Amino acid sequence: MGGLRAASPPANPPLPLFRGEVRSLRSGVEQLRVGFDEGNGMVEKKDFREVERFVWELSPETRPDMRVPARLFADDELLETAFQDRTVEQLVNTATLPGVVRYALAMPDFHQGYGFPIGGVAAMDARSGVISPGGVGYDINCGVRLLGTYLEQEEVSPRLQELTAVLYQTCPSGVGGSGRVRAAGKDLDQLVTQGAQWALKRGLARAEDLARTEEGGCMPGAEPGAVSARAKERGRTQVGSLGAGNHFLEIDVVETIYRPDAAEAFGLRQNQVVVQIHCGSRGYGHQICDDYVKSLQGAVHKYGLKLPDRELVCAPLDSPEGRAYYGAMACAVNYAFVNRQVLAMGVREAFEQVLAGKVANFDLFQIYDVAHNIAKFEEHEVNGRRMRLCVHRKGATRAFGPGLPEVPQDYRSIGQPVLVPGSMGTASYVLAGTERAMELTFGSTCHGAGRVMSRAQALKKIWGADLRRELEERGIVIQAGSDKGLAEEAPAAYKDVSRVVEVVHGVGLAHKVARLRPLAVIKG
Amino acid sequence: MEDGFEEIPHTADVAIRAWGRDLLDLFANAARGMAWLMADPDTVQTTVEKTIELTAYDAETLLVTWLGELLYLRERDGAVFTTFELEDVTNTHLRGSARGGPAKVLRRAIKAVTFSEMDIRPTEDGLETVIVFDV
Repeated sequence: MGGLRAASPPANPPLPLFRGEVRSLRSGVEQLRVGFDEGNGMVEKKDFREVERFVWELSPETRPDMRVPARLFADDELLETAFQDRTVEQLVNTATLPGVVRYALAMPDFHQGYGFPIGGVAAMDARSGVISPGGVGYDINCGVRLLGTYLEQEEVSPRLQELTAVLYQTCPSGVGGSGRVRAAGKDLDQLVTQGAQWALKRGLARAEDLARTEEGGCMPGAEPGAVSARAKERGRTQVGSLGAGNHFLEIDVVETIYRPDAAEAFGLRQNQVVVQIHCGSRGYGHQICDDYVKSLQGAVHKYGLKLPDRELVCAPLDSPEGRAYYGAMACAVNYAFVNRQVLAMGVREAFEQVLAGKVANFDLFQIYDVAHNIAKFEEHEVNGRRMRLCVHRKGATRAFGPGLPEVPQDYRSIGQPVLVPGSMGTASYVLAGTERAMELTFGSTCHGAGRVMSRAQALKKIWGADLRRELEERGIVIQAGSDKGLAEEAPAAYKDVSRVVEVVHGVGLAHKVARLRPLAVIKG
Repeated sequence: MEDGFEEIPHTADVAIRAWGRDLLDLFANAARGMAWLMADPDTVQTTVEKTIELTAYDAETLLVTWLGELLYLRERDGAVFTTFELEDVTNTHLRGSARGGPAKVLRRAIKAVTFSEMDIRPTEDGLETVIVFDV
């Protein structure tokens, strides 16, 4: 079983962070690399001040181009992992963006990304700030949907193999793989403008699904005119498909309930079978990010922005370029909501096909659907006054607390559900948003386990076939496109999700509600 | 050094370092590196040839656009491109052709080419850069 526990982090030497040079690229896009300590440009643990338990702050004096402090949420062991890749450098880079308020944040599942670190949260003043595709990510509105069943584990276990095989058919996977629904031309433009409403009109959703989706499944401001023909072409065939990489569909059982009142409100109970869908906006969103990372390179020059990393490319929120990206991003956000909605119908179909006549109630109800990669306009209190902000969450989850109108009516006394999938074959968590998150993190928390090992390293250390056998020995049914894909997503390549959750629970960025244990995993 | 590229470790994604005598050589090697990440090039059966012409804001943007174009064709036509004849590559313009086809041994899917850590810089032998791929 050794391979299934979190491995000790790779012993890389600390990387030099800042190279102490200022230079211009041939193109004229200015790239700034400023060392705060010439010749020894490394941020170390001692440079972080422990503000309170699990909250670490880096002063804006650390590098001359920082506009605000940087904060990292971690226990001692997780903090160590921040120095093993470019997380800290990327977090510091995020703190340099125009209009960034209070601080740049990294949730405890942080790891190196491109542009922002994964787990990164930064809020920009809507009037004077920028929007960055590098603060949202390639898979726009990658997220998680959780469906509840009326079934106990014992009712599903005897038919788990069959159910998994049918789910593999009704929820297609693989890169470039086609989905259940086709939408082209005006139809696709309507889909990305209306979001889950589009699915509702076509009988692919229930009204209560929409009520229990972030943004009601439709982000306002979508502008299909800002989306390239290529993105539309790629998006045409992929609605209702999982994709590949870390995306998956999982059948879980509720193993532990931490907060009975919240669990009851969310419709969760001990030994209940639930289903998680983890995927995003497929080729459509990727193409939009790709298009704008390239096209905004010119905007950086036009508006005289100085960036420490080209992947942080951005444009003022109040500019034609910034508005265009927002309008296109909103299209991808809605595409992803529809994608997970259509997959949810695929899950319902599979359960009906396998379990009808064999159990009393084979239906699935929606618990919630959250976005992990998104930029949204929200109002937050900054230094005692309400401000309209564009909150970038990249590998982070909104965690709005009780009483807010954005939280679905059914959950308003509790706080919004936060869905935190663990790495493959390990536990996942359902949390609830808090007031503390509103105060500390613009209403944000972690989104998963967070990698500690590269995919290449994982492939060297872990054999997919071994992993498959280990998971199967633990009674987990696996339906995967390839053993190689399995190895790349091996649990040992990730941080321990429980550790990450203990930090956000400890700080109060979300409260633990329930813990889920996997019964079957389906991935591309 | 004759391969023109090598895979380097990266926490979340996959990355290569590519080098070449000049931009033309660098762009061809980077494309071969990307193909190598996706499939075993020895198992690719050459069935298609594409003429490609691209313009971009600067050299790095052109490199991202060039590799992105090959990824797009990979997704659309199912072809892994392994052989490149680039006629002209400047900082802002590329013209050439790419040949490839279906691969028997696939290694991994690449979703996007990023600007992360990309910096085309002069070396003693020519030019080099790191390229990080989103997978």
